[in-house]
Amino acid sequence: MSASDLYRDLVLEHNRSPRGFGSLPTRTHAAEGDNPLCGDHLRIELAVDAAGRVRDFAFSGQSCAITTATASLLGERVRGLDAAAIAELEARFARLVRGECAADPALDGLNALAELRAYPARRKCALLPWATLAAALRGTPHATTEANA
Amino acid sequence: MTARALPIEAPLDPQRIRADFPLLARSVHGKPLVYFDNANTGQKPAAVIEATSTFYREHNANVSRAVHQLGEEATAAYEAARDKLARFIGAPSRDEIVFTSGTTQAINLVAYSFALPRLEPGDAILVTQMEHHANIVPWQLVCARTGAKLKAAPIAESGELIVEKFVEMLTPEVKLAGVVHVSNVLGTVNPVAELARECRRRGIPLLVDGSQACPHMPVDVAALGCDFYALTGHKMFGPTGTGALWARREHLESMPPFFGGGEMIRRVSFEGTTFADPPHKFEAGTPNIAGVVGLGAAIDYLEGVGMRRIAAYERELLAYADAALARVEGLRVFGTAARKAAVISFLVEGAHAHDLATLLDHEGVAVRSGHHCAHPLMQFYGVPATARASLAFYNTREEVDRFVEALQRVRKLLR
Repeated sequence: MSASDLYRDLVLEHNRSPRGFGSLPTRTHAAEGDNPLCGDHLRIELAVDAAGRVRDFAFSGQSCAITTATASLLGERVRGLDAAAIAELEARFARLVRGECAADPALDGLNALAELRAYPARRKCALLPWATLAAALRGTPHATTEANA
Repeated sequence: MTARALPIEAPLDPQRIRADFPLLARSVHGKPLVYFDNANTGQKPAAVIEATSTFYREHNANVSRAVHQLGEEATAAYEAARDKLARFIGAPSRDEIVFTSGTTQAINLVAYSFALPRLEPGDAILVTQMEHHANIVPWQLVCARTGAKLKAAPIAESGELIVEKFVEMLTPEVKLAGVVHVSNVLGTVNPVAELARECRRRGIPLLVDGSQACPHMPVDVAALGCDFYALTGHKMFGPTGTGALWARREHLESMPPFFGGGEMIRRVSFEGTTFADPPHKFEAGTPNIAGVVGLGAAIDYLEGVGMRRIAAYERELLAYADAALARVEGLRVFGTAARKAAVISFLVEGAHAHDLATLLDHEGVAVRSGHHCAHPLMQFYGVPATARASLAFYNTREEVDRFVEALQRVRKLLR
């Protein structure tokens, strides 16, 4: 196990230049997420269409490379999906980072986080964007990693 | 021995110290371990591990309640540790040492047994902005129950307490003050003796959180002039789940028990109970006997090395680390107090503390990342988290070099 397994080029690249970083003037949904154990804070804003599908996704906040890259890759992956499809993906991602599958084609670029299976203390970093996204879609203004850990 | 005697304060030889700590020989991720998380917990010398193990192998029995031989031995070993700790921190009396599970329990004991019965609406407790949550939250809990207020004296950008402000805030409604001796995040050594003088002049009892001081410098509670001193055994290279509260005898006598149960009573009937004298009044139930015996061994070990020698060595090591870190581009150090223990909180531009800690771990270097149980300090500096390298007397210049080299590689990777 080496550091470059967790900090793959794709993760480092999304951390350096996160996609969808910022704010959405046309947002319909938003939520804040906190990881109280580390102090990380994330805000996700969404534009959701009449059919309940995510049309646009933006995030902001101060967070580690794992959280930032996950949020960036997540935004790319969930466009066009509704809450049910996103919940299904979240379950798949949780299985991936727990090491219950080696890779999952449905997760696309998010497979870059697979090495979290060897870093239980860092899994919450990657789960924070998912929890915040789910909270935004549910209409709850706030999410924390301490509920879904 | 040669005719020329060694100077009393001969410098400490870290290689000889390291040989006493079995865990320091291991490697992590294929690299020799550099353990820089001493403010979190200290590693244990073989003498501590053996004292605990010998207690279980040869002397195990409950304390203060068995007349058989093993009971006598266990009680003697447990009470001997009280003598050692009293001497180690300059307590005027062994009866002023209450064993606890650590600093947190010690502060809670003062909060519930000393502060709670005394506080009234409109009263205040004064702490500082650099406190650990253990010296914030217990006070908030008793304030919520009494209508008292918790106030925090401000610090400067350097991480030093603004003493004039602290003194200014010692107004008549302040019924208790609390201050950390050495900050676990900034390394700042607070001028406790001066603060205690100001508190005493106004009749305000002062509690000192000594968690981070006891492992690194000589402590003399009588000379400090405070009223309460809380400490943690596992940071002093003793077992986890050990610690103590030192308090002036008159305070301990005025305080009702915190926990009730066995060991803390003189006589019990359903009509009423009379309590044992301090310190036993505050040690209900079977204590962490083997742990306390191990703490006694840790104190013997520290005294064998010498706290002055340890403090001098760590001061020199900190200066070396500061100079080495100054060469790392984009490095920000939090806490630059003139009087500072070997604790270095830092961030590297463009890198989050957790990424630094995970990547340093891969280089074999253990540092902590996060808020260090000090949210108000993180808010003061406007960062969610920092990485923290905290050194001890078994750390070396070579380890500092490895840490700085690893940090340079991490910085390049995250750039």
